[in-house]
Amino acid sequence: MSDATLPASFSDLQPWTSWALATERERSDKRQASSMEEILVFYNALLPRAEAALEYLEQYPLERMPADANMLLLLTLSLAEVAPAVELFGQPGVVDGYDVRRFQPERRG
Amino acid sequence: MDGSSSNDTTWHSKHPHLGTGPLPTNVFTCENQFQLEREHIFKKLWLNVGRVEQIPEPGNYFVQDIAMCQTSILVVRGKDGEVRAFHNMCSHRGNKVAWDKHGSCKAFTCKFHGWTYGLDGTLRSVPDEKNFFDLDTSKLGLTLVACDVWEGFIFINVDPQPAEDLTSFLGEFGTRLHGYPFADISTSSASWTTEVNANWKVVKDAFLETYHVAFLHGRSLPDSFTSQSNPHNQILDLRLYPYHGTISLYGNADVKPSPVGSIAFRHGASLIRQNFDPNAPPPGVNPGRHEDWTLDLNTVFPSFFIDVSEGSYFTHNFWPVAVDRTIWHSTQYFPKAQTASQRFTQEYGHVLFRDIILEDGRTLEETHSMLASGAKKEFYLQDEEILVRHSHHVIQQMIERATGTHAHV
Repeated sequence: MSDATLPASFSDLQPWTSWALATERERSDKRQASSMEEILVFYNALLPRAEAALEYLEQYPLERMPADANMLLLLTLSLAEVAPAVELFGQPGVVDGYDVRRFQPERRG
Repeated sequence: MDGSSSNDTTWHSKHPHLGTGPLPTNVFTCENQFQLEREHIFKKLWLNVGRVEQIPEPGNYFVQDIAMCQTSILVVRGKDGEVRAFHNMCSHRGNKVAWDKHGSCKAFTCKFHGWTYGLDGTLRSVPDEKNFFDLDTSKLGLTLVACDVWEGFIFINVDPQPAEDLTSFLGEFGTRLHGYPFADISTSSASWTTEVNANWKVVKDAFLETYHVAFLHGRSLPDSFTSQSNPHNQILDLRLYPYHGTISLYGNADVKPSPVGSIAFRHGASLIRQNFDPNAPPPGVNPGRHEDWTLDLNTVFPSFFIDVSEGSYFTHNFWPVAVDRTIWHSTQYFPKAQTASQRFTQEYGHVLFRDIILEDGRTLEETHSMLASGAKKEFYLQDEEILVRHSHHVIQQMIERATGTHAHV
C-alpha cells in the first residue's frame, strides 16, 4: 500500500505508509519484525498527529471511508499496535511473553 | 450463595468447607485424573460454545470441536430461528457433515456419499436410496445435542440426558447478571486462539486470581490495578456458588495513562479504568457497589469466563485437548464502532489486553513443563486465590460423587 496516498493534509505522514496494514496479524508482524529504532521513528511521527487524524476521520462513517482516509485510519491502528512496545516494554515484543505469533486473531463485525 | 462486601476477615473464613490446606500437584499431570474429568465433568455439564451473533441468520452455522467430549459439535440456526446443536457426524458412515469452521447453507450434504440433512437435522435425501435395506430415514437425522441460550451465550451439553437444564445449572449466578447489555456490546468482537502446552487447570487457575497482577503485569499495568492503598490488587468482593464464582476487581481511578492511552481514553472507556461510573452497570455487576471497582471476573464452571466491565467485556474458553495440552480462546466484545475514534480506542484496548495476556501465557508453559518432575508435591494458596481453591474443590467433589471414591490419583 506504500504507493497509495494519504489525505493531502496528512501528506507529512507519507514516509510511514508501510505501516498502513489492514489486519491485526499484519500490524503485529510488522511490529515484531521492526527494530526499536524503527518503531520509535514511526511512533514519534504519529503521536503528535493522532488527535488531528482522528478528528479529520470523524467526517466519514467507518463503513464508507475513502481509500486515502482509510490509509490514515490504518496508520492510527498501527500506532495503537506499537504503543505497548514504546510505552510499556521498551522492546518490540512483550518482555518474557508468550509468542504472539501463536495467537490466531479473528475479527467479527 | 454468600455475598461478602467487607474484608475484615479472610475470604476463606466465610467458606470454611474449602479448607486452607495445600493443593496436590498431581491433579495437573495424572492421566487418570484427566479421564475422570472428561467423563464426569466435561461430558456431563453445560459448555459454552459461542454467541448468537455468530449465527444471526437461518442457515448460519459454526463448528466447535470438543476433544474433551470426543466430538465435534455443529451449531446451526434453523429456518424457524431456533439455535440447535448436533454431533457433526453423518448417519451413514460417520463422516463430518460440516468441514468448515463456520459458514452458511440451506442444507448439509455429506461429502462422502451425498446424504443431505435439513437445518433442523432431519435426513432429507439419500442417493440411490432404493438400494439400501429397510432404511427408515425418519430415524436417521443428525444426532441432536442438548442446546440452550443464556444472555446470548450458546451452551451445549453432550450428556443425552442432562442432569439439570441450563437455567438450573447457572442458578443464582445466571439471574444475577441479568440486565447487563450483552447484546448491545456483542455487535463486534475480536478473538485469539492458541494451543498451550499445559494442563487446562494450569491455564484456568492463572485467570482466577489477581495476586499475580502487581508482579507479573508490573510492566503492562503499572498502577492500573494497584495503588498505595491496594498494592497487591486485593479483590473487592467475592460471590461463590455451587459451581461458579465472581470476584470484583479494584481499579485505580487516578492512574496516569500513557500518551497513546490518553488519546484512546478521550474517546471511550478501555480496559484500564477511566472515565466510567462504577454504579452504571446493573445491580448484579459490581454487586458490592464499590466506588473503586473496575471489572467483575465471572467464572462459569468448568472452563468459561465472562469478565465484564462498563461498556465492554471479554471471555475465555479453555478446551482441554490432552492432559498437557489446552486450546485457549479469548474474545473481546465491543459495541460496533461507528467512527474512527471509537475504532482506534477499541484497537488500543485490544492490543493492550493481548499483550497483558501474553504475559500470562508464558507462565503457563513454564509452569507445566516443571510439573512432571514431581519436585513439588503441593502448591500453597493464599486467601486471595480462593477461586483457584474453589475450582479444584468442585472438580474433586464431582469426581468423588460420580465414582463414590475419594480422589483419583
